[in-house]
Amino acid sequence: METNIVFHILGMPVSDNVLWTWIIMAVLIVGSWIFTRNLKRIPTGFQHVIELAVDGIEGLVVRDIGDKGKAFVPFILTLGLFILFANFAGMLPMGVSPTASLSTTAALAVLVFLVSHGAEIKEKGLKAYLKGYVDPFFILLPLNIIGEISKVLSHAFRLYGNLFGGGIILGIIYMFIPYVVPGVLNVWFGFFQGIIQTAVFVMLAIVYIQVRL
Amino acid sequence: MLEAAIAIAAIAIGAGLAVSIGAIGPAVGEGYVAGKAVEAIARQPEAENSIRTTMILGQAITESTGIYSLAIALLLIFSFGMPLVGRLLELLG
Repeated sequence: METNIVFHILGMPVSDNVLWTWIIMAVLIVGSWIFTRNLKRIPTGFQHVIELAVDGIEGLVVRDIGDKGKAFVPFILTLGLFILFANFAGMLPMGVSPTASLSTTAALAVLVFLVSHGAEIKEKGLKAYLKGYVDPFFILLPLNIIGEISKVLSHAFRLYGNLFGGGIILGIIYMFIPYVVPGVLNVWFGFFQGIIQTAVFVMLAIVYIQVRL
Repeated sequence: MLEAAIAIAAIAIGAGLAVSIGAIGPAVGEGYVAGKAVEAIARQPEAENSIRTTMILGQAITESTGIYSLAIALLLIFSFGMPLVGRLLELLG
């Protein structure tokens, strides 16, 4: 769980996780700009893939949340894209998965927490939101609060544990069999697990928002 | 020095037990969910997509208990074990 400091900016240490987060952010921003520069009414080439992804996520969100959920599609899509790229970054040579660090996943989970609770406050008002904590009885107040905290904790730990645990297993296998096998396992942990864990995180985010609305 | 060695051994055993025992429950549960999903798809092949997403969601939530035990094991090794190993190496010179 130690952090590798790569360099300092104005005396502030920058770890490899933060560096790779910035790289992924840059790739996503530049990629979004390039691929959405000249969108056409009748899609050609790569626009098909983009429309497929946006349509898929929108269908998922609208199916679970309903028509109110359309406002959350950009947030969910950004979350999914960032986590997918972050999971894949671990497969690159010298690459570090930012999601294999608890700080990143905790930040993402807190983000989902803020969005879902903020949406409820905006939808129902502050009074009804606060009343939800003493529902159905006043005695259940501590239980409700613990439930909300454990949601965030398990959301963060699930992504982190899977990525970090995969990295540890890969390291151990690499010590025993340095040839061929780690490469295959790298593709398994990076590609397959990366996609599955992204889907899980995104779907749980949708469900958490839907529960609060 | 002996105390430190015993503590390190206990931490290692504890971390191993935490993961191995904690993995039993989620493994059984996830297998059960997958088996039931296969049954459901066999009965209603047209609902395959929605069954698959529900299955993955259910497995992800089942998995969190296993992830908790993994987190405990990591905490034991990296937060308690590693400093002790460093101190033992210092004592050994």
